[in-house]
Amino acid sequence: STYTFLHIRLSPKMPQAPMPKFSSSVKLKYVKLGYQYLVNHFLSLLLIPIMAVIAVELLRMGPEEILNVWNSLHFDLVQVLCSSFLVIFISTVYFMSKPRTVYLVDYSCYKPPVTCRVPFATFMEHSRLILKDKPKSVEFQMRILERSGLGEETCLPPAIHYIPPTPTMDEARSEAQMVIFTAMDDLFKKTGLMPKDIDILIVNCSLFSPTPSLSAMVINKYKLRSNIKSFNLSGMGCSAGLISVDLARDLLQVHPNSNAVIVSTEIITPNYYKGNERAMLLPNCLFRMGSAAILMSNRRSDRWRAKYKLCHLVRTHRGADDKSYYCVYEQEDKEGNIGINLSKDLMAIAGEALKANITTIGPLVLPASEQLLFLSSLIGRKIFNPKWKPYIPDFKLAFEHFCIHAGGRAVIDELQKNLQLSGEHVEASRMTLHRFGNTSSSSLWYELSYIESKGRMRRGARVWQIAFGSGFKCNSAVWKCNRTIKTPKDGPWSDCIDRYPVFIPEVVKL
Amino acid sequence: MGRSQEKGQGQGPIYNIRLSTVGATRPSETGTTHEPTGLDLAMKLHYLKAAYIYSSDTARDLTVTHVKAAMFMLFDQIAWTTGRLWRKDSGRPYIKCNDCGTRFVEGDCNLTVQEWLSIPDRSVDEYLVYHQPIGPELPFSPMIFVQMTRFKCGGLALGLSWANIMGDSFSLLDAFNLWAKAISGEKIYIRETSEKDRRFQKPNPTVKDLDSIKRVDPVGDLWITPNNKKMANYCFNLTVADQISPYFPANGDDQIPVFGILAGIIWKCIAKVREEPNPVTVTIIRKDPNELKPKGIRNSQMISSVHVDFPVAEANVEELVKCMAKSTDERCGIDEIGESCDGILDFVVYGAKLTFVDLSEVDLYEAKVKGKSPESVYCNVEGIGEEGLVVVFAAENSEERVVTVTLPEEEMERVKSEFKKCGLIAA
Repeated sequence: STYTFLHIRLSPKMPQAPMPKFSSSVKLKYVKLGYQYLVNHFLSLLLIPIMAVIAVELLRMGPEEILNVWNSLHFDLVQVLCSSFLVIFISTVYFMSKPRTVYLVDYSCYKPPVTCRVPFATFMEHSRLILKDKPKSVEFQMRILERSGLGEETCLPPAIHYIPPTPTMDEARSEAQMVIFTAMDDLFKKTGLMPKDIDILIVNCSLFSPTPSLSAMVINKYKLRSNIKSFNLSGMGCSAGLISVDLARDLLQVHPNSNAVIVSTEIITPNYYKGNERAMLLPNCLFRMGSAAILMSNRRSDRWRAKYKLCHLVRTHRGADDKSYYCVYEQEDKEGNIGINLSKDLMAIAGEALKANITTIGPLVLPASEQLLFLSSLIGRKIFNPKWKPYIPDFKLAFEHFCIHAGGRAVIDELQKNLQLSGEHVEASRMTLHRFGNTSSSSLWYELSYIESKGRMRRGARVWQIAFGSGFKCNSAVWKCNRTIKTPKDGPWSDCIDRYPVFIPEVVKL
Repeated sequence: MGRSQEKGQGQGPIYNIRLSTVGATRPSETGTTHEPTGLDLAMKLHYLKAAYIYSSDTARDLTVTHVKAAMFMLFDQIAWTTGRLWRKDSGRPYIKCNDCGTRFVEGDCNLTVQEWLSIPDRSVDEYLVYHQPIGPELPFSPMIFVQMTRFKCGGLALGLSWANIMGDSFSLLDAFNLWAKAISGEKIYIRETSEKDRRFQKPNPTVKDLDSIKRVDPVGDLWITPNNKKMANYCFNLTVADQISPYFPANGDDQIPVFGILAGIIWKCIAKVREEPNPVTVTIIRKDPNELKPKGIRNSQMISSVHVDFPVAEANVEELVKCMAKSTDERCGIDEIGESCDGILDFVVYGAKLTFVDLSEVDLYEAKVKGKSPESVYCNVEGIGEEGLVVVFAAENSEERVVTVTLPEEEMERVKSEFKKCGLIAA
């Protein structure tokens, strides 16, 4: 494209007749491409004239003159030794202070049994039977479900299939065991990891926090080592998955030659809202069963087989602002039923949180061309004319794949619009919402699995995972694919990937 | 029927009722429907029931999860039965295949299987079948109810209530046998029946004035048979050798028509009690001998009418048996009637006239769990007309039969004493 750019610049005569629109937009595209190439490869492009000059000089000087220059440098032993020591010292300091690379070796997502399936019609019929005195609430749930973007194969745990649901603590524990142990067994099988080898264990589950903790439950089941570093994160919402990754990364900086297992899940059983306050019925309609187990490592031996390398992880917390803090709030309704109240400003607040997050992550990932444009637009707006439209950096240049937390259709729509993403970029998120529903912190992993199952993950591809959660938080993780990933034969998408992508209508008629 | 219970409350000796839903594992394609035939629509006020009891040795380790998983495999084959009934603009009911599911009811019983089986009147098994009629809202009424009752000793009873609009008793019993296969881990398959398969060919002379079907007052969307009389159930066992054979003179190698004789005896008893006017027409429902195998889920039972001109109370059983052999198949006529009114009118077939159902050819004990047959099986029909119903089916022992009688309460005691007189039941 450089050549095209140069060609356009050098061609002297341009036709005077008015251009058809297509051709002018094509020209604009090439101008943009040329600009991007120029700025992003500035240093390497600078190298070309420098090397040209040196080559010309060398050719001019001839071999004897070069030899003379070499001999006049007066190398003596002390100088040589000192310079080599300096070089070695500087490189050692550099390598020691470089943060350890953290790899994602592999991960596995839980596929619920088909007997837990909840078709729309079943959900609605149960709703009518449970809320039989509140037809308006039933009507509301139906409208939510119609527009939710969920499909007919999402799953709820066995206790929620009862009319009315039977959310006892036993049932909650049994759901936790079912989803966590199955995902971990699968992870062990995939990676050949021995339970005794796990150095760090992080379990995150927002709304179910028994004593002993879920991480203790895992340690008990798999007989993990007594000196394991275990953590249990609760109450941190749907973005807790990336918080766990951040914690794992920090721990892996401190502990050399270690691995970390992260379990991200949300236990649905104890959190079924039994009342009929509309804003609190929403989670019943959207949250579904799911979990993911992830193996991360800083061991050099895992480098060759790891799937991804963690490049950046940016956490943004908007809790200081009252509106953000209260927008996802667990409380009792008038009748004493506990549920999660979602405020009407949720989308706006999510947008704000995303902007804050982008401001931090942009400089880390965007190519120089985009950053320059953004900077000039910023300066222009500040100095020249505040009415200029703010320049939205094109993140499609920074990433090949996007995993947007499948919190709901509105979230994905909003982000697609804000980041100017195409349908294919958000396909993983939409299809995960359709097939698995909102599985909270584990949804990002189902989305990543979708992209792999479609065979789109190539070596060097960069992935951006964005998660939102109560607080209000927006967390981003940037991964780089370490090796081209073959379409997996098992996994949550193995039996249905051929049916995807599906067209999801705006409103599904029930 | 007095035994139908409100949701959530115990049914007599059954307590701790918990409702949930089971369905099919794969989603049906949006917009799929199942169109009932005229015959299906004519049978819409009836519900077929069956209850299977398994001993504690067989079923102690069978958990709800196992039972439900096998149910899912069964309903995978017949996903349309998990749909719901809607009406077209013309008012004609059809099944929308929306995967809504069948209702699964769990309950506990304070008795052991032995204690339960020692109750002489086997119609106590009605408590093992959770039944709700379709309606008052068609789109939210399951067509199938499955009840799983756990006995004190660990034994298990499975009761099914199945709306007749979907298929006949033979379909239901076949389906349950397949469930038993599924729970043993076998792969099962039910043939899909297209609408064409399920329709009947028109006979040469169109049958007029059918006896086996009777129009009833409109029931709207609550499909309960409007009866003025309260009905009662009674169920008993009998041995062919003791109670049946004496009636048929030994004719060498001829097969004793056990069902025919039994029906004849019972017909006589009931005629004696009813005095006037004699039931001179009865309906016989049995399996179609020309049925294609495998059958699929459909209404293909033979519905025939038997007409006699002589007083039944004094008649010879042999004569009655001979008349029953000359019954006329009225299925096509019923199909036409149901078709012509587009399912708007309401009819009753079971109990329009005194009805005898022959299930003796069905091997009920084939429904084996862990290789063991059930201890006891019970069959009946809910929502029948006032003329009454007699269902005859096989016991575990091929030399025995089980009879379920449903009659108006006021007649039951007198009929039972007639049975005692002719030796059908112990005095």
